[in-house]
Amino acid sequence: MVLENVGNRPIVSNLGPTTDELWHSGHRDRNFYTWGSMGLCSSIALGMALSTEEQVISLDGDGSLLMNLGAIATVGREKPKNLIVIVWDNEEWGQTGHQSSHTAMGTDLERVAQGCGISRTATVSSEEQLETALREALASPGPWFIVAKIEETDHLPYAPIEPEMTLYRFRATFPRASSNPLTEPWLQKPESS
Amino acid sequence: MTWAETLLAALKRADISLIAYVPDISIYQATKLMEDDPYFHVVAATREEEAIGVAVGAYAVGRRSAVFMQSSGLGNCINAIASLCLPCRTPIPFFVNLRGELGEFNIAQVAMGRASKPILDVLGLPHYTLTTVDGLDTILNGALDLCYASRQPVALCMTPLLHRGSLA
Repeated sequence: MVLENVGNRPIVSNLGPTTDELWHSGHRDRNFYTWGSMGLCSSIALGMALSTEEQVISLDGDGSLLMNLGAIATVGREKPKNLIVIVWDNEEWGQTGHQSSHTAMGTDLERVAQGCGISRTATVSSEEQLETALREALASPGPWFIVAKIEETDHLPYAPIEPEMTLYRFRATFPRASSNPLTEPWLQKPESS
Repeated sequence: MTWAETLLAALKRADISLIAYVPDISIYQATKLMEDDPYFHVVAATREEEAIGVAVGAYAVGRRSAVFMQSSGLGNCINAIASLCLPCRTPIPFFVNLRGELGEFNIAQVAMGRASKPILDVLGLPHYTLTTVDGLDTILNGALDLCYASRQPVALCMTPLLHRGSLA
C-alpha cells in the first residue's frame, strides 16, 4: 500500500523485517535498505530531506527509534517540509524474542514527536487509516510523523541486500549526484550511450 | 588564513556543504564560521551516531557531507561507522577533535582520546593529525581527495596544537 501511494519518492527502511518486507513488496532503485546502524533510519532520511527537494519517506520501527529518540528532536529542530516518518509500532522487539518494547509500557511516540515541535502527527491502527494519513502527508507540507500500530506476524525471508550496491543504485537516481562529472566521475555514462 | 578559514576553504573545494556535528567549544572558531556562511547547512545532532546518519543521508542523494565531533563522540558512533559507513562505502570525512592531549584537565576524557586512533586503525580508516596551520591545506585537500577516491571515511584528528581552543 505504501509503495502504491508514494510513486518514485525515495524510501529509507529500518533494518530487519521492514527492509525485508520492502524488498519483497517491491524492490526499486529508490529503496534505501539499511541492514545495520540500528536507530539511524530516520536520521538518514532527515539528511536526505535536507539535501533534496523531493519528499522522503522513512519506514522506521519502535525499537529502532527508541534507540535514537534524539532523531525526532533533530527533525523537530530542522523541520524539513519534505520528510514523512512512519513508525511501524508492534510494541515489541520482534526479532529478538518478542520482548515488550517501551511503547507497550506507556511510551507514546506521537506525543514525543509533538513534544519535539512536530505538529503534523497521527497514530493509526488500520491499513485504511494509514493510507488516509499517508495521502494527506504526501499532499501537504511536513514534517509528518505517523505511528502505525501493527501486530507482529511471521517474518519474510531475509532480503538479499548488498549495502554498497544499495547506495550506488539509490544514489545514481538523484541528478545532484549523477550530473556532476567533477565530483562523481563513477556515475557518468559514456557519451555514446 | 587561520586554521578555521583554511578548513572552510578545503571543505568548499571538495564540494562539501552539509555539516552534521555535536557542538565542541574547542573548534568553535570553525563551526561558527560554517554556521554564519550560507554555503553550509549545519545540522546540530543530539548525538554523534545521529550525525553520521544525517551525513550518510545527504551523501545518498548526492550532496557531500562531513561530521565534526570530539573523540568522546567517536566512541558514541563506532557502530554507525562500522555498520553503515563501511559496508555502504560512504566517503564521509570525520573531523575528530582529540581530547586527552596537551593541556587536558579532565581525566574522563583521556582514555577515549588515546583510544581514538587505534580504533580508527582497527576499522581500517586512514587518519591524519592536524597540528599546525602550516601545510594544513595540503593535508586537508589530500585527505579529502583520498576519501572520495577510496569511497570510505577518512578521519582528520584535530589537536590543541592546531586550534589552541579551550577545553570543555
